[in-house]
Amino acid sequence: MIDRWTLATIASMALVTYLTRIGGYLILGGRQLSPRTMTVLDAAPGCVLIAVIAPLFVSGNAADLIALSITLVAASRLPLLPTVLIAVLSAGLARHLIG
Amino acid sequence: MSDFNRGLRASMPVLIGLVPAALVLGAQSTAKGITPVAVPLMTGLNFAGGSEFAAVGLWTSPPHLLLIAGVTLLVNSRHLVMGATLAPWLRHLPRRRVLPALFLMVDESWAMALADAKTREQRAPASGFSMSYFLGVSTALYASWVIFTALGALTGPVLGDMHRWGLDMAFPAIFLALLRGMWKSLGAAVPWLASLAVAAGTFLTVDGAWYVPAGALAGIVTAWIRAWP
Repeated sequence: MIDRWTLATIASMALVTYLTRIGGYLILGGRQLSPRTMTVLDAAPGCVLIAVIAPLFVSGNAADLIALSITLVAASRLPLLPTVLIAVLSAGLARHLIG
Repeated sequence: MSDFNRGLRASMPVLIGLVPAALVLGAQSTAKGITPVAVPLMTGLNFAGGSEFAAVGLWTSPPHLLLIAGVTLLVNSRHLVMGATLAPWLRHLPRRRVLPALFLMVDESWAMALADAKTREQRAPASGFSMSYFLGVSTALYASWVIFTALGALTGPVLGDMHRWGLDMAFPAIFLALLRGMWKSLGAAVPWLASLAVAAGTFLTVDGAWYVPAGALAGIVTAWIRAWP
């Protein structure tokens, strides 16, 4: 059983999230974009991704920073799967050893 | 291999981080008093992990609807930018196909489909964005997210602390690998550094999820200024 408030809250989350997903497309979809706008759109994906993981860079936790450094090196020269495995292993190990 | 299957396969590294995160979210949800039926309903209709962790963290009985909707908007506001960056690639597709497909857009499927579109464009101009590849990645992520959050809700906290096992590092690793794929030059990465600096500063000084829109916005403004004609 699901109570009414839970249902309403889930529905409102779903609606808000879907609007954020279609909003950018609907606003820019039909327009002819200037070269400058295209340059900005080119930089935007990286800005979003790095903002999401920014807290890790300033965590102040030695184990996390070591794991992050190892992951940075792995990401700069290896494909996705080995990068992820090295990241998980180094984080697990560093936290185990340093705490 | 079809583009759809190529997408399914490409999603596998993402699942290393996604499956344990889904189990943890499911377990946290039931610990907060959300019924096991409501958990897959939330993760299946909302399908945006960051906002779901935030919502569950704020969950009370009954839940505070406006607070949770507001936090959801804040955490997911980055989708607006993501959708905008996809728009030029989706020109050739009719809206009735794009709008349902965008329901499945998450950080990973978006970034991977965008990277794939750029690679294809280099090989054969105007081939561009593959909707099948995007749907392949998205289907795998969606099915796993809903199934494993439901499983986590039913089994409770069996996995223990995923932080201890380092599994939470899978997502930053995916993001960093995707950033490397987008890398062009140090100059082109200046907006990223601005985003990183402002996001980190905001995270340290302001409570809540403001650091994501603040950082992204700072990076976009930097790119806008640098592209001054």
